[in-house]
Amino acid sequence: MSLNPEFVFRVLVFPGFAFILLFTMFCDWVERKVEARMQNRMGPAYTGPAGVLQPLADFVKLLTKEDIVPFDTRNVVFRLAPILSFSIFVFAFLFLPVDGVNVILNSNFEGDLILILTLVSIANFFLFLSGWSSTNPYSAVGATRVLTQFLGYDIPLFILALAPAFLASNLSISAIASSQNVPFILLIPWAFALFIITLQAELEKDPFDVPHAETEIVGGYETEYTGRRLAFLKLAKDVQIVLGAAIAVELFLGGPYGPVFFSLPAFWYALWFVLKLVVVIVISEYLTCVFARLRIDQVLVANWKVLLPLSILSLAATVALSLYFNPLMR
Amino acid sequence: MTNAEHEIAVLLNNKLGEKILQTGTLQPGRAFVRVGANAQRDALEVLLEADENAGLSALTGVDLGKTIELMYHIRTRKIIVTIRTEVPKEDAKIKSVTDLIPGANFHEREVADLFGVKFEGHPNLKRLVLPDDWPKNLFPLRKDAEVVVPNRMENADVSSGDGQTSSDGKLINIILGPQHPALIEPEKFSLKVDGEIVREVEPRIGYVHRGIEKAAEKRTYLQDIYLVERICGICNACHAACFCQAVEAILGVSVPSRASYLRTLILELNRIHSHMLLLGHAGLEIGYETLFQYMWRDREAVMDIVEWLTGNRVIASFITIGGVRRDLQEETIPKIKMELANLKKKMGFYKHLFENDPTFKMRTKNVGVLSKQDALKLCVVGPVARGSDVKMDVRKDEPYAAYGEIPFNMVTYSEGGSWARLMVRLDEIIESINIINYVLENLPSGPYRVRVPRIVPAGEAISRVEAPRGELFYYVKSNGTAYPERVKVRTPTFANILSFVRIAEGGNIADVPASFVSLDPCFSCTDR
Repeated sequence: MSLNPEFVFRVLVFPGFAFILLFTMFCDWVERKVEARMQNRMGPAYTGPAGVLQPLADFVKLLTKEDIVPFDTRNVVFRLAPILSFSIFVFAFLFLPVDGVNVILNSNFEGDLILILTLVSIANFFLFLSGWSSTNPYSAVGATRVLTQFLGYDIPLFILALAPAFLASNLSISAIASSQNVPFILLIPWAFALFIITLQAELEKDPFDVPHAETEIVGGYETEYTGRRLAFLKLAKDVQIVLGAAIAVELFLGGPYGPVFFSLPAFWYALWFVLKLVVVIVISEYLTCVFARLRIDQVLVANWKVLLPLSILSLAATVALSLYFNPLMR
Repeated sequence: MTNAEHEIAVLLNNKLGEKILQTGTLQPGRAFVRVGANAQRDALEVLLEADENAGLSALTGVDLGKTIELMYHIRTRKIIVTIRTEVPKEDAKIKSVTDLIPGANFHEREVADLFGVKFEGHPNLKRLVLPDDWPKNLFPLRKDAEVVVPNRMENADVSSGDGQTSSDGKLINIILGPQHPALIEPEKFSLKVDGEIVREVEPRIGYVHRGIEKAAEKRTYLQDIYLVERICGICNACHAACFCQAVEAILGVSVPSRASYLRTLILELNRIHSHMLLLGHAGLEIGYETLFQYMWRDREAVMDIVEWLTGNRVIASFITIGGVRRDLQEETIPKIKMELANLKKKMGFYKHLFENDPTFKMRTKNVGVLSKQDALKLCVVGPVARGSDVKMDVRKDEPYAAYGEIPFNMVTYSEGGSWARLMVRLDEIIESINIINYVLENLPSGPYRVRVPRIVPAGEAISRVEAPRGELFYYVKSNGTAYPERVKVRTPTFANILSFVRIAEGGNIADVPASFVSLDPCFSCTDR
């Protein structure tokens, strides 16, 4: 592949790195604003119009702060974990069709759905390592909680992601998105509901935010992080949230595809993608607002005794009903 | 002498005979009995046998010059019976009563700290309110204590630090506090954990000890009102009311009835404000941020009402000796009623939420259960006791201010867990709104204060108020000047904090914040 200008633009500007970064910050702002309005607060208000630049300001502020590495840490892992986890999340994003085609043109292949989900797991593992290398009791407890939680919830997430793949008879995420003449949320709404709940657990949001339970374990795995590294750790978390929502959009909401009102479909596709993603973020933020945090043992019970059987049932139901769905797929 | 006091005097005389040196009453409902050193255990035993609901309210020490007087204030049959005994100052030793009544643990440690009385047989007579490096022979509440800045490093007791593990190496020591996000105020709790299970809890208070009891002796009665209000910002009116009631009892002044209604008003506003603050904070502790934000938003209405009534939002400085300092303006009454009607509607919503939200119930039901027997043994007070089905409310037992004329219900729950304790508070908010509405409708006319002399005749008085967190206890002794001889404050959290040890032991670490917050701990109160 020669290094043509279009390729560089797609990777670095749109829909690649710059877009992902700014969009992540925008989604962070949406989250904070929605949560604040639901809790009858103002939320970010002063930086930029309606505070939309607040996440960027927070990020820049953290970059300028003093960088402290505690004496006892496992140095290399402690330093690398935030940046690795951030880059893996961004890398996974490159396989999603944002404006109708993948970020890197023609990089889709049969099975990239599995690759993306695997990358998410690996990045999550780096979040665990970041806490584990801190040698702080709070970080250690937070890190083990991350590990326990994402190991458990990865299984239902994979199973639930298989249902759209089965309906589309394809394991490529762009093929799944493009095959949705009728968005899968209308065909298998139960799978979408379960997927969103599992995603809450994957993204460590209420009611599953035990790795962040600050009244129990202070900052969790972030406790010892400061300055630049904390900035990237937080950014990695935010990209993870956007990525999770993006996967939900691609699998259940028809991806970037929607009505094109005049030429330049890439513009419309990107717009639909952004709008659908914001809808998923608002749903997830709504759940965060209406629930209290569960205890770690209750989180595990919810996973193994409730979500796992339900996700298997949901896959079985999808397979059983797929005959009826076939006419709709064409 | 009313019935209960007489009965108790007869009972004690029959059982103890010659051990009793003197019986009498201070005021109505305040019997006392004087016994020789170490006979206090016999008297206590008789009282505990006669009434299973009896409990220790406070243990007061007073420096009498050559001797130190110890007063065990026992609440029984809705009155306070004080067992008095004296120990020589030179060789201050007395037998502990912790085996008879486990709730006396902290009371004795406090007196040991501040007066240097050695309680023989106490399970753990370590420092409680003073720092570990405080000089060994300086007891601040003794009258002859020299107020100097001690050279603390010389006396540093290095052995008092916490190890990482217990001596046998099996339990891990997790230290909660003095700085921890689950604690708003600084106190330390050492949790010895075995895996996820808490095996042992050792509380250490005193991180915000300001010596208010000592400071009160150096100020006039009038100045002391403002001093005691600052013991606790949240229930400041309760402290002022309790102190003023004690001084009024010594003076023999009775408060005009409009003033007692206005006192009831501010006390109930205090209660609503405090309970809402706690319920919101409980939401935060279990990761329910929305509940926290909603509660604290709605609480603003109460702060506004307090401002209309007193001119201040938090520290009211409203109650004074002989009445209150400001009158309620006629035109604010409809405004207050409107805000409260609004609040009552919202409380209905919260009650629905507390009873039905699955995640909230999962985190609070069957968590931190305190049985009725334990509640009585540990002498807990207020919503903690009422959540364990102990029917105890100073407003009912011994009506002060205008409570005797106002109909209201005592809220009790029988489960004894975190959820029950939170529900008690929620229901009490609704009761309080009803009380305030009654007060506003039946507010008598007339003066709102009487002038009282600055110099208080010699005497002593005990006063009790049902603060939001439970029974607040004041003992005031006057020596006939403008300065009190002794002001003893026993705050509700001081009585409740021992129960945390009981409910945390054997539980899960993740339950510690949820069960702890349901006690509504206020450490500024506890330490004074």
